[in-house]
Amino acid sequence: MRSDRFGYWVGLAGVGLAVLALLPLRSYVNSTPIALTFLLVVLFTAVHYGRSPAIVASLASVFCFNLFFLLPYRTLRIADPQNWIALAAFLLTSLIAGRLSLREKRRAEEAETSKLEIERLYAELQAAFAKASEAEAIKQSEKLKSALLDAVTHDLRTPLTSVKAAVTTLLAENGGREPSVNLDEEGRHEMLEIIDAEIDRLNRIVEGLIEMAKIEAGAMESNRTWSHIDEIVSIALARAASITSDHPVRLEIESDLPLAQVDEKALAEVMYVLIENATKYSPPDSEIRVFAGRNASGALQLSIEDRGIGIPADFRERVFEKFFRLAEPSFPTRGAGLGMGLAIARGIVEAHGGRIWVEPSPGGQGTCVSFTIPQQERQSTV
Amino acid sequence: MSGARILVADDEPQITRVLRRGLSSQGFEVQVAEDGEEALNIFRQWKPDLIITDLSMPGMGGLELCRRLRKISNAPILVLSVKGDERIKIEALDTGADDYITKPFGMDELFARIRVALRRKSTTISDDLATLEIGDFSLDPQSRTLKVRNEAVHLTPKEYDLLLHFLRNPNRVLTHRVLLGAIWGGESVEQHEYLRVFIGQLRKKIELNPADPKHIITDPWVGYRFNP
Repeated sequence: MRSDRFGYWVGLAGVGLAVLALLPLRSYVNSTPIALTFLLVVLFTAVHYGRSPAIVASLASVFCFNLFFLLPYRTLRIADPQNWIALAAFLLTSLIAGRLSLREKRRAEEAETSKLEIERLYAELQAAFAKASEAEAIKQSEKLKSALLDAVTHDLRTPLTSVKAAVTTLLAENGGREPSVNLDEEGRHEMLEIIDAEIDRLNRIVEGLIEMAKIEAGAMESNRTWSHIDEIVSIALARAASITSDHPVRLEIESDLPLAQVDEKALAEVMYVLIENATKYSPPDSEIRVFAGRNASGALQLSIEDRGIGIPADFRERVFEKFFRLAEPSFPTRGAGLGMGLAIARGIVEAHGGRIWVEPSPGGQGTCVSFTIPQQERQSTV
Repeated sequence: MSGARILVADDEPQITRVLRRGLSSQGFEVQVAEDGEEALNIFRQWKPDLIITDLSMPGMGGLELCRRLRKISNAPILVLSVKGDERIKIEALDTGADDYITKPFGMDELFARIRVALRRKSTTISDDLATLEIGDFSLDPQSRTLKVRNEAVHLTPKEYDLLLHFLRNPNRVLTHRVLLGAIWGGESVEQHEYLRVFIGQLRKKIELNPADPKHIITDPWVGYRFNP
């Protein structure tokens, strides 16, 4: 804000300038345009600096008008009516213009205040939204916990039930309780086989839970090395060999793929999950295709494509939710896991800055899951 | 009882494998279905003596299977449930399932439940007016009189109805809703406190130690079970 005195000086300087500018012309023009010029100075002062500087400018203008521009020059003729008319006009202009400008200023200030008020409200609203989404996040995590509990009751208990039933059958055989159970050698062997398989299943569930906890704790960062994607693909395929024995697997890897800084084990896990899903949800002997290449923006892109039953459009995003499983009548739940595989896969891909999505396989039948790994700048240290 | 036909419905192959093997070793004939639909089909053709069904299966689940089976048969139904399934389990019992067993379960417990269910089936009461002689109890429907351990016990009409219902369904879970519906009719099925009061009175009259009942056993959050 300029100092209050500044306006007075500007007004007086304006009057002085007007006098200097008009002096050479005073013999050619009459007093009216001269008075109007002074009036302009007064008006300007009033608009910009308010009433008081404008009144001072008015008085100075009347003084100068009288002194320099009313005949005879350099004499003050107080009695001249032109003088009074000019004085009245200048003062009125000062008052009215000053008032108008004051009003204008107030309005501007009001506008400024309301702008600040709006900004404040907006900030408050944003804070409220942030709080709400925090609450939502907490609610989500509560939901997640209960989903975990559900998953645990159903999915841990299923293998536990088989194990318990098998073990108690074997025990009843030796317990001699009436009526006793009579198992033949084959029956005993089958019970043991079931126990073995179900313990592996329990172990897989526990490993899945650990994997998910790791991703959530952000453990992915530290294990990254510069790796060849084709190597990771072949590691995953080797691991999946036992489950892909029913399916021909076609591998298409673009040549000259650049190295990528990734967590090899984690990415191999993603590939494994996707291959496992492909085998689970497609008929035996149907082909599974694995592509690795670069997409339009230069990111690495991997896709696993099957000729299976496909995923309804409504569920293509939801399948990545933790513990989500398709409960469609048409969808086999046989051998279905905990609903963690794709959630883990998404966690890993996103930790690498990539994206994962589901679409129908080209050609319509089946599912194609793709994910990208953005290309990083290679550090000179490696 | 040996040689009875048992139909097992569960979508978990490992569980059905164990059950098939375990039940066969007891001399039962066993068939297995992966869902309710298949179970119904097998039931119609094979006429099993007892059905063991899981509650959550893809497609037609255990609850719907109970409903459909009850429309066409009185064969005992044993429900396999897990903790967390309480609501749907009770619904299944209300619908007509005879008993439930909670996963994971021991095979000897399952065998025991199967024996009870099959025995009940073979002793269904045909004559409504015949004297019921079960365990400690002797009840004469004609005179509406009861003897417990050979001593006459006086019952109010409602207590009598309640006990009669228990005696006709021994060793079986009877849900609150089923009991209330059977004794007081359809309108009072939500008023569990009614039932609690009458059960209390009945226990005082028939139990040796009403504080530690041996005949009318509470099945928490589900209902009551009567052991003669």
